[in-house]
Amino acid sequence: MDTLVLFLLNATWQIAALALTALGLALVFGLLRIMNMAHGEFVMLGAYAPVLAAQWGLPALAAVPICLVLVGAIAWLVERLVVRHLYARMFDSLLATWALSILLRKGAELAFGRQFRNVAAPLDGVTRLGTVGYPTYRLAVVALVLAGLLGLWLWYRRSATGLRLRAMVDNPALAQAAGIDTARLSAVAFVAGCLMAGLAGLLLAPTLSVAPGMGLDALIRSFFALIVGGLGTLEGLGLGASVIGGLQSGLSAVFTQTAGYLGVLVLAILFLWRRPDGLYPGR
Amino acid sequence: MGSILGVNLALLAGLLLVPLLGGSFLAWQIGLFLIYGVAAQGVGFAWGRGGFLPLGNALFFGLGAYGAATVLRATEGALAVNLLAMLAVALACAALAYGLAVLLFRGRIGSGPGFSLVTLALVLIAGQIAETTPALTGGFNGLSGVPPLAGIDPFGAFYYVVVALVVLVTAGLMLIERRPAGLILRALVADEGRLELLGFAPHRVKGWAFAVSAFVTALAGALFASHQGIVTPQSIGFALSTELVIWAAVGGRVSPLEPLLGAVAIGWATAMLRDSVAWWEVAVAAIFLLVVLLLPGGAMDLVARLWRRLRPVSRSKPVSPLPAPPVRVAPPPGGELRLEAVGLDAGGVRILDGLSLAAPAAGVLCVIGPNGAGKTTMLNAITGRMPIRQGRMALGGHALNGRAPHQMLRLGIARKMQVPTVFAGLTVDETLRLALLAGRMRPSDALRRAPLRWRDDGLDALLADPGVPLTAEPGKRAEHLPQGHRQMLELALTLAADPRLVLLDEPAAGMSPAETQVMVRLIRAWQARTGACAIVIEHDMALVESLATEVAVLHQGRVLAQGALSEIRADPQVAAVYAGGHK
Repeated sequence: MDTLVLFLLNATWQIAALALTALGLALVFGLLRIMNMAHGEFVMLGAYAPVLAAQWGLPALAAVPICLVLVGAIAWLVERLVVRHLYARMFDSLLATWALSILLRKGAELAFGRQFRNVAAPLDGVTRLGTVGYPTYRLAVVALVLAGLLGLWLWYRRSATGLRLRAMVDNPALAQAAGIDTARLSAVAFVAGCLMAGLAGLLLAPTLSVAPGMGLDALIRSFFALIVGGLGTLEGLGLGASVIGGLQSGLSAVFTQTAGYLGVLVLAILFLWRRPDGLYPGR
Repeated sequence: MGSILGVNLALLAGLLLVPLLGGSFLAWQIGLFLIYGVAAQGVGFAWGRGGFLPLGNALFFGLGAYGAATVLRATEGALAVNLLAMLAVALACAALAYGLAVLLFRGRIGSGPGFSLVTLALVLIAGQIAETTPALTGGFNGLSGVPPLAGIDPFGAFYYVVVALVVLVTAGLMLIERRPAGLILRALVADEGRLELLGFAPHRVKGWAFAVSAFVTALAGALFASHQGIVTPQSIGFALSTELVIWAAVGGRVSPLEPLLGAVAIGWATAMLRDSVAWWEVAVAAIFLLVVLLLPGGAMDLVARLWRRLRPVSRSKPVSPLPAPPVRVAPPPGGELRLEAVGLDAGGVRILDGLSLAAPAAGVLCVIGPNGAGKTTMLNAITGRMPIRQGRMALGGHALNGRAPHQMLRLGIARKMQVPTVFAGLTVDETLRLALLAGRMRPSDALRRAPLRWRDDGLDALLADPGVPLTAEPGKRAEHLPQGHRQMLELALTLAADPRLVLLDEPAAGMSPAETQVMVRLIRAWQARTGACAIVIEHDMALVESLATEVAVLHQGRVLAQGALSEIRADPQVAAVYAGGHK
């Protein structure tokens, strides 16, 4: 019984963490049709924010502004210099963001060193749920992710900016003709997507080993979640993260980590082959 | 640039000079980068020729290396056994790559990020397996003490084995480029959708391209095991995959020499500078990004362009033509096209709404109708471009439902697109050669020279029309032709495969009145010669008048009326929704 509860808690954690990680990628792809291959590197940069805060002797909360400034500045620069020229050019943007990811990774190796870092959770301690104890920090992150996704969904559906974004996704030329500054909106959307990746890194840092190469895993698992769920919607993101996160934690619990990874890959290939629009192709 | 023989002799001479001038240790070092260079050639081929980017090609390098290491350790020194086993490993890699590519590219993911990310995931998993299964791979420490191939000294004569591989692979890849396979690959990169209508299945073409890529990369891996004497998880890892892409990007992908050069130059510089200059790897990544942004063709492309400017090519030697073999049609040709109650939705809008239409087995059926009536969509439904929701479609009793566009030509159906679609980067002459490969080529013809010399009376008759200007400028790039000439080139591309049913979507759009008359003459001549059927979508009533044996009027996804033009003109319903008239 306890094992089952623990497994369910672990699976919930995995799903929430994956949804959080994939959110920025989904945002950038859904709004701009750019597969941001450097997405994982923004997660990595965000995860270094608490490392830097600790290194500079600042309080834990200082990691939030550090993350926003660091990731925001780099994302803005990247949009200006690279991504802006590649909208609507899927293959070129794939390659350019891939080159960018290598640059960011190597840059991080140079700036922070190659070694793994550990980050202390700002909330330590264990919450008891019946007979099972679970880290409080993880439960808090799960709650935050749920609230954040719900809020984002409401905002996208109800707010004026959400409306402008939806107009841009549907028909960029018409949106422009209707007086929407799509260039600015695209830039904001890209930076926002990268900031979400950075915040995901920040929130997940205490549960991971922080290292320059950590972005790859984040990118691939996020991408698979989007493939399975359906690219471009929050509903699809939730579904995809549930399937991929659930499958991976299930297989890893029963067999090995490698089996979990392989299972996820096979599932993603099956989807790319038979159902390239995913489970929730609602766009 | 240059003939295959000339380029490879120069390459061979240059590489043979290395041990003479630099000594055997330099040759050993260069040998390693040449091996990497062959792997980069594999990536460059998939990327430059296939148009898709494999981000995990170290998978095949590693499989080749581990496979060879296992074989070498087990058989020690028997040359024939070693070579055969390495070849078997490389062929297995090619088969794996083919299967994977066909599976992925069939799922409509195009050449976009899906494929790249799956290959990336594969190499990550392979790296993980290599590290965690010591029984098979020696785990983290790898398989060490690999005896060299046939006992050849890795620091001595083995360099010549590497050079032999480099020259063989380079010559092989250049050969593919100059044979029908190369022409088809260039057309694939230019316009997948158009190529599919010529009867080539894009996912299979890409499958072959990826198989070649994997084969070459695995061969390089096999020699790597012999060269290094040790195979560690690094040789199947993500880092090497990335480097292969960087080398192919920076060097270039147009000729197989370019990735080779990129690998040797960057690999060599990295080996020299990695330990002394801390920011070297950041600099390489920055160079990669700059090349992607500013020099999409790679550094060598710049050199090649300068070279071409200095020495304009004067190739295209006259070749003696060969008669093309007949088109291979699956079922016995002929029969009429029948659509029964076809329904099709797109984006929540009903476009075809119970459309029923019969086209005669011979003659010209003109389809007219206001914009948005569903004319082009009807052709998309027939050719399998858009899936239909309900109804039946058949040609001479053969069901068309659920078939893919690349199967159409074998059923005798060819199509000309609404926007004149030709292959960018192919010359007029090359486009016409490709036209004669369509439907006639067997898989075994892909690497033969003869199919490129095929000629066909039907196509020659079309080209001989005084109004067709295509033979005057065979060396001109198809995308640089004016609109009217492009329309005629696409018509030639469509009719060359002797189809029994031709779907022509506004064949005279954007043409001058004189050109329109030529177009009418060509279509009528073709119809009279073959006795086949053409369905022509047209707005120009003068053209309809001079072509149509029958007219169908489409309105809101249905056939409103069908019959002789005079009957259609008299139909009050037609007059109510559609006035017709001149352009």
